[in-house]
Amino acid sequence: MKKLFRAAAVAAVTALALTACGGGGSSDPSNVSPTGEIKAREISWLLSRPADGAVINIMKKLADEYAKDHPGFELKLITTPDRPSYIQKLETLAAANKLPELFDTDATPFAQQLAKQGKMVDAEKLLKSLDVYDDYRPSALDYQRFDDGSLNMIPFQFELEFVWYNKALLQKAGVAVPKSLDDIPAMCTALRDAGITPIAIDGQDQWPLERYVAYQPFREAGPDFIQKLKKGEAKFSDPAGQKTVEWLAALGKAKCFQDGFSSQGYSDAQNQFTSGQAAMYNIGTWELPSLATDKLNPEVREDIDFFTLPTTAGSVTAANEFVSPSGIGMAVNSKTYDPLVSDFLKFALKKYPAEYAATGALSPTTNVETALPANATPLYKKALEKANDLGGKQAMPWDTQLDPTTNGRLQQELVLLVQGNITPEQFTSTMDSTIAQNAPKFFK
Amino acid sequence: MLPNRSRLSVLVFLLPPLLLYCVAVLFPIVQSMFLSFFSWNGISDMEFVGLANYVRMLTADDIFWRSFFNALGYLAICLVLQLGGALLVASLLTSMRRGRELIKTLYLLPAVISTVAIAFLFVRIYSIEPVGLLNQLLHWIGLGALERPWLSDINTVLTAVSAPEGWRFTGLYMLIIYAALLSVPQELEEAARLDGASRWQLFTKIRFPHIMPVWITTTIMATTYGLRGFDIPYLMTNGGPGQSSELLTTYMYKTAFSSTDFGYASTIAVFIVVECLVAVGLILFLLKRKADA
Repeated sequence: MKKLFRAAAVAAVTALALTACGGGGSSDPSNVSPTGEIKAREISWLLSRPADGAVINIMKKLADEYAKDHPGFELKLITTPDRPSYIQKLETLAAANKLPELFDTDATPFAQQLAKQGKMVDAEKLLKSLDVYDDYRPSALDYQRFDDGSLNMIPFQFELEFVWYNKALLQKAGVAVPKSLDDIPAMCTALRDAGITPIAIDGQDQWPLERYVAYQPFREAGPDFIQKLKKGEAKFSDPAGQKTVEWLAALGKAKCFQDGFSSQGYSDAQNQFTSGQAAMYNIGTWELPSLATDKLNPEVREDIDFFTLPTTAGSVTAANEFVSPSGIGMAVNSKTYDPLVSDFLKFALKKYPAEYAATGALSPTTNVETALPANATPLYKKALEKANDLGGKQAMPWDTQLDPTTNGRLQQELVLLVQGNITPEQFTSTMDSTIAQNAPKFFK
Repeated sequence: MLPNRSRLSVLVFLLPPLLLYCVAVLFPIVQSMFLSFFSWNGISDMEFVGLANYVRMLTADDIFWRSFFNALGYLAICLVLQLGGALLVASLLTSMRRGRELIKTLYLLPAVISTVAIAFLFVRIYSIEPVGLLNQLLHWIGLGALERPWLSDINTVLTAVSAPEGWRFTGLYMLIIYAALLSVPQELEEAARLDGASRWQLFTKIRFPHIMPVWITTTIMATTYGLRGFDIPYLMTNGGPGQSSELLTTYMYKTAFSSTDFGYASTIAVFIVVECLVAVGLILFLLKRKADA
């Protein structure tokens, strides 16, 4: 009967999504060294990364090299760079038990449920068995860990998130780089008075605004706040929660973000900043090729600089602790893990860091040095050097932490709060009741 | 009455499309009804919850009701633009002597443009920073005070996402209504004119009653299309800001594929099916009664 229910349910999902579904089992996720003959075949990687990005190009190249010694091997890349679409695809395939050999995921509550069901290979054991575990930056691995400390995803990047700013525009408005997060609303008012858009933001994708909600609690109560909030053990009505709600409302009141930001996309925001129309832009080192090379608009090139997340009075986290993600991780499907997948990963993960660092990006490992591109500005090196001075705590993006329903509602309510459509009290009440209603289903 | 052999051949030829219809339409509806009695996130065990999803939907979900009323608003705007616009343009076309084909083609053009392209086009038209076409026009004609971010303003966003859908299909319904207007007997109109009927009387007493069966069909088509509207609002605003442009369809989709709550999403899907059936029933009832009066 249970099988009948499952089959019927999968068919219903098919009807809703018009996607193909099926069924299957799983093997031991802790068995990282499968024995037997390596039989070359095509394996797939379901991934959410830029189609022409360094990660994909390098892995393609390494797969081709591996295929020379293993005729018949092929790495098929199934790319969906748009993150919301990707997540829907991943969840539908997971529901149908049709996940491919390798798949990308953040350390979300949904991914944790997959791991608990033994559908993902233990990445810590896997990396140790390949003798590469110690090469990784601890913070790159920590970003991929679930709450219980288990590691089921392998990082391929390491990024630092800064607030980029235009020195000339700040000077024009007579404001200095903020010493505290609490200085930003007044700074926005001064910039607006000078006719300058204070912060360019991609509102369409929702995660950039969600970064801002994480900042005050990280400074006020440390990284544990979100761990407690997502389970309903802390609330937005707590002092740290109220601080972020009031701060966001103040950012909105000071008109910090460009008009109509909620319907503007990634490239709109970037263009506003790089064309000198907006004074600040909060983005990670993955944008170094656009912001710190000669590709940057010459009219603003000399004026661009960055500052790291400001602290606050009484901050429990240090200035060198901020958002430093290692990108979306790659999980290995335990059901399809065999000597071939194991051998390919061994081959690829050992060669990957050097290839990646050669592209000018920060490797998730410490055993290679990033090469500066020939067209880099001095800012490029300055940004990379920040990776050598990181503190022990990192601010986690909340979209990877909250249950999916709460996350969706938070993204919606944040826009309303910042636009002044709802009061801080309404926001607090809605979000606390949303968490109370949805968190128990994911964090039993 | 068809002879027996003809009736048999009609039934034989009807069978394949009927089977296809059952597999493609009825079966998924039954499956969704079945799933609506469960709580299931796609990877955990399914839990039978009886009517709990329906109770939650009807009594405890503020977003559901917001989406429902938004969907009605979206439908109303689409119907006015699509049917009202179509009737107006079709009536004007019947009075034209030259250039009818050009006008028809121009009006029909949006119906063949990809939804994604339309959505992106209108995002640009509504934009304020950089300034889009609509705000630029308002500025040029001296109505600068009305300039706003149309898709970010909770008071204008629903109208703003409905307009492209209405604009898109006006041409299609215009063609149908235009064809119906051409079938109005000229003798009747001539006789009415000789009796001194005004243009308005001619329209309300002769033309419109004559095209009533076609009008009912187009109204049903436009209503069901409007109730299942999804792509343009989803692409333009993803239901936002907040839930200002959230429709039942976008909410159902997000509940299934963002919140991974497949049981509850199926409950909303069942509601959409019932809503469409009720809407079609109401249209038939009201228009038939008007026609009989």
